[in-house]
Amino acid sequence: MAAMDIEEDEMSRQVQVRFVTKLKAPLKAPNTTIAIPSNLTRMGLSTLVNTLLQSAASGEEAAEWKHEAFDFLIQGELVRMSLGQFLLAKGITAEKVLEIEYIKAVIPRKEEEPSVHDDWVSAVDGSNPGFILTGCYDALGRVWKGAGICTHILEGHNDAITSVSIIKSKGARSSNDTLVATASKDKSIRLWKFDAEDTLDRPMTIRSFRTLRGHNASVQTIAGQASGDMMCSGSWDCTINLWQTKASEAGGDLVSVKKRKTGGENEESQSEGEAVSSFVGHTQCVSSVVWPEYGTIYSASWDHSIRRWDVETGKDTSNMFCGKVINSIDVGGEGSALIAAGGSDPVLRIWDPRKPGTLAPVFQFSSHSSWISTCKWHDKSWFHLLSASYDGKLMLWDLRTAWPLAVIDSHEDKVLCADWWKGDCVVSGGVDSKLRVSSEISVQ
Amino acid sequence: MKAPKSKQESKSKEKEPQQHVVEEEDPVVSDSDDEDWSVEEGSEGSLSDSGLENSDFTDNKEDLTTSDDAVSLDDEDDDDDVGQDSQSESGESHQGVEESDSSEDEAAPRNTIGDVPLKWYEDEEHIGYDISGKKLKKKEKQDKLESFLERADLKNWRKIYDEYNDEEVEITPKEAKIIRRLLKGKAPHAEFDPHAPYVDWFAWDGAKHPMSNAPEPKRRFIESKWEHKKIVKLIRAIRNGYIKFDKPKEEPKVYNLWGDDQTEKAGGLAYIPAPKPQLPGHEESYNPSLEFIPTQEELDAYQLEFEEDRPKFIPKRFLSLRSVPAYEKAVKETFDRCLDLYLCPRARKKRINIDPESLKPKLPSRKDLRPYPSTCYLEYRGHKGPVMSISTDPSGQWIASGSSDGTVRIWEIDTGRCLKIWELDESVNFVAWNPSLELPILAVAVGADVYLLNAGLGREEQHKIEELLRVEKPEAPAPDESSKGAPTVIWTEDEKQKGIRLKHIKTVTSVEWHRKGDYFSSVMPSDILVIESRAISVHQLSKKFTQRIPFKLHGLPVSTAFHPSRSFFFISTKMTVRVYDLLKHELVKKLETGLRNVSSIAIHPGGDNVLVGSREGKLCWFDMDLSSQPYKILRCHKKDITSVAYHRTYPLFASCSDDGTAYVFHGMVYSDLNQNPLIVPLEILRGHHSSNGRGVMDCKFHPRQPWLFTAGADSVIKLFCH
Repeated sequence: MAAMDIEEDEMSRQVQVRFVTKLKAPLKAPNTTIAIPSNLTRMGLSTLVNTLLQSAASGEEAAEWKHEAFDFLIQGELVRMSLGQFLLAKGITAEKVLEIEYIKAVIPRKEEEPSVHDDWVSAVDGSNPGFILTGCYDALGRVWKGAGICTHILEGHNDAITSVSIIKSKGARSSNDTLVATASKDKSIRLWKFDAEDTLDRPMTIRSFRTLRGHNASVQTIAGQASGDMMCSGSWDCTINLWQTKASEAGGDLVSVKKRKTGGENEESQSEGEAVSSFVGHTQCVSSVVWPEYGTIYSASWDHSIRRWDVETGKDTSNMFCGKVINSIDVGGEGSALIAAGGSDPVLRIWDPRKPGTLAPVFQFSSHSSWISTCKWHDKSWFHLLSASYDGKLMLWDLRTAWPLAVIDSHEDKVLCADWWKGDCVVSGGVDSKLRVSSEISVQ
Repeated sequence: MKAPKSKQESKSKEKEPQQHVVEEEDPVVSDSDDEDWSVEEGSEGSLSDSGLENSDFTDNKEDLTTSDDAVSLDDEDDDDDVGQDSQSESGESHQGVEESDSSEDEAAPRNTIGDVPLKWYEDEEHIGYDISGKKLKKKEKQDKLESFLERADLKNWRKIYDEYNDEEVEITPKEAKIIRRLLKGKAPHAEFDPHAPYVDWFAWDGAKHPMSNAPEPKRRFIESKWEHKKIVKLIRAIRNGYIKFDKPKEEPKVYNLWGDDQTEKAGGLAYIPAPKPQLPGHEESYNPSLEFIPTQEELDAYQLEFEEDRPKFIPKRFLSLRSVPAYEKAVKETFDRCLDLYLCPRARKKRINIDPESLKPKLPSRKDLRPYPSTCYLEYRGHKGPVMSISTDPSGQWIASGSSDGTVRIWEIDTGRCLKIWELDESVNFVAWNPSLELPILAVAVGADVYLLNAGLGREEQHKIEELLRVEKPEAPAPDESSKGAPTVIWTEDEKQKGIRLKHIKTVTSVEWHRKGDYFSSVMPSDILVIESRAISVHQLSKKFTQRIPFKLHGLPVSTAFHPSRSFFFISTKMTVRVYDLLKHELVKKLETGLRNVSSIAIHPGGDNVLVGSREGKLCWFDMDLSSQPYKILRCHKKDITSVAYHRTYPLFASCSDDGTAYVFHGMVYSDLNQNPLIVPLEILRGHHSSNGRGVMDCKFHPRQPWLFTAGADSVIKLFCH
């Protein structure tokens, strides 16, 4: 009986709340204080806000009101349990009027048709909202206009592509305005140019205009500088190489060599480039590089370290040791300074290098059950990032809660690569040879 | 008693050396023989004339004893005051006795009455006579009160009244000190040291003539006649019953009925008292309280129970003791008790009270020994039969596996993708990746052949390797080989697999590369007939040349290994591991495993430690510097150990077994030779299913990461990460 009483008490306990939001008009709830039971969870709050909005809306809108999922922030933290428990856990008093901010829930609302490849999809880049670039184990790169619409096929590598990167896409509005790079297990990097605006019935096959050789083991990762003039690559030979990408220099460059002039119009433009400089320091495979700012490169390696390199001097300015093999890093978040890394264990770690004594990660997310293959920050939001794992799942994370916002379980096998696309989609490729696009993720 | 005492003590101060000569003589004989005594005493020189009196000693005493209530030492004076007559009359100056212990300086008492009772002079006017015979008049007596007051005065506490001489004597501080010392039982003079080292001032040696020519007295060497007589007398008295001893005390006839009788009857160490039958409780009373009496319902409930579960005794109530019937089970219970006592073995169990935790060796915590492989994250699936052998590429990017389905596959470690498949016709027994980074070549043991396959990966240009894997067609070497009989190995080029095929005469079970990647060895253990030296051959890749090992084999070879830094070659047979020096052609060491069926060996990258796994499930760690016996034997697997492995850089080693598990150990080898290797079990890796009684077939460490690959009979390769 006593337990029942307590339960009833729990049921009847009311919390004074006021809903605020930064969302625009139709989703803006009236700014009034209401009393709600404290055992409401996120779902209950979401329903409540929807009802509020619906009642506030005018008759016609109310009739065709579409239910919208919301997420709730109290003092900068996402609510992931019942309201009463949350308040208790955070030590927030329920006496005062509680201000709850609601945002659109970051969950994929739509799963697009998969884009089928011939082999494992090993790399994807969605940094251009106009197209998706993928690399595949059949040594071909592909450009997708949208889900299932392939426009270009990049042909030229001799072995599986390991990494792709869109170097420059906002050039002059000429025909060949987009510059992309692919790295492969055949130890080379190839640069490609194509017109992303092309609309074709059948995919167009393009050949690379330039081949960059210099690594003597398979190239694992590439990243371009924001300006698009330079790019860097990490390889199994433990080095990071810097390359020039400027097409204009290619012709007059001293090091460029015309190779294989044995006919074929495509090979005409083929030229070879050499590395501008090489950063030596890692002792094992360089698995991931990012080039977020003009003068700094971050690299992660199988030797369990994350290093920051000064491009001018070629020296590593910081060296973080994390004890695990790292497969992927990304730099972003608050002030574009947080380093997220995933590797040979199911934990996604985030470091803040601005903090003194940065050896301990500031965040650790461990909902995956296998190696993490990719992690990517959302380029607009400070809080959101995604991770892909060999357990076949993609997870969306918010720094404000320790639970994943959403788990995308569309892949049948390991997910090898993933990226954000157009700010509200997640593109991912994996061992099931499909490029999956999960869209309508409303990240503010 | 006659004049000189048997105990002689003399003393002289300041002028004479202090000494005590003490001679204890048998009192029975001493009277008869004084010469001995005097002989020794005579050596005292100047003391001899002053005679045997202890004059100096007694004077002082005498002075002291004069006090009325004094310690009466007077009786001693009787003998000694003879020598006092020669003293000068110092009269009142008696107090001023300061030094002069010698009798000459002594002030004699004025009175000459001698030792007579003073009572005789009580009523006289005088107290005695002085030396010239004149009467010594008594002094006027103070009345008692006055004398008491005077005594009570603090200043006069030293003064004492000498009744004999009728005078007041004041004790000097020195004398007081002496008195104090005497009262304490010490020597009167503080400077006298009773424990002074004995100075033997007599020169015993070098004397030409004896001190005494007297013959040795008889008593020195015969027993005492008188003692003997006395003893005989006592014996007779005892025998005749004149002397009776006390009877032993009678023990009281009562004893503690309820106490533990162990103490009384303990008739030896082995005796164990019988356990007592349980005493009856309240319910067994003839008139128990009502709560002990079961109700009718309870009695009915007992009937429903099993025979064994029913209570043995049901309490009943009797109004008087005489209505209690005879106990019907008495005979049976007594008989049972007797049987119990007779048949039940009673033994004292010795239990040592030791905390079992304290017996465990102190090992460091597993947490401190990280990293080590613990969790399986990746699986490499694709084989259709048990994976017999795996081998990692030296860079750590690929892993090769051979399966009994006849395929050799190369996998990409970080993604689990199968890059390459070779279809060979027979079951693959062994794969070994060339340890050189420049030569991505796989040695594969298939049936009676060893294939050298080009992995087609790696850093070097492909044509170099293709060049290396080419054998000249002409069978030129065949004739010279034929002179020694049939060649064991024939090198041929295999077009289909694009590699070299080495045809052996028997099934090859294992292939091991030398660290430089040019030499490799192959083992054909199948037949006892090829035991000699043909079972193991060493091949050179660059010259395409095969040679036999120049050592005689002692038993069936199981596997071989090259030393990681020196020119040593390890050959393990079923029982032992032998280490040969390939340059000097000699046996370096023989490791006695104590095992019956060695299955695999691994050499520590330092080269001084060897790990041997056996089909009994035992794992032996040899420290070759220490001894040829195993340093540690680990019994952890329930079934055959199939493979053991060391990590190249981390202090880790692993073993895998047919019971489907792999064990990971921490095996730290210290550069300090005095410190033994530290072995700590870390983790049991499970996950493989057994098929056909086989579990994990092979285990290999990643060359750079603390990761372990295990190849299972369930045709899966698993990667365990830290």
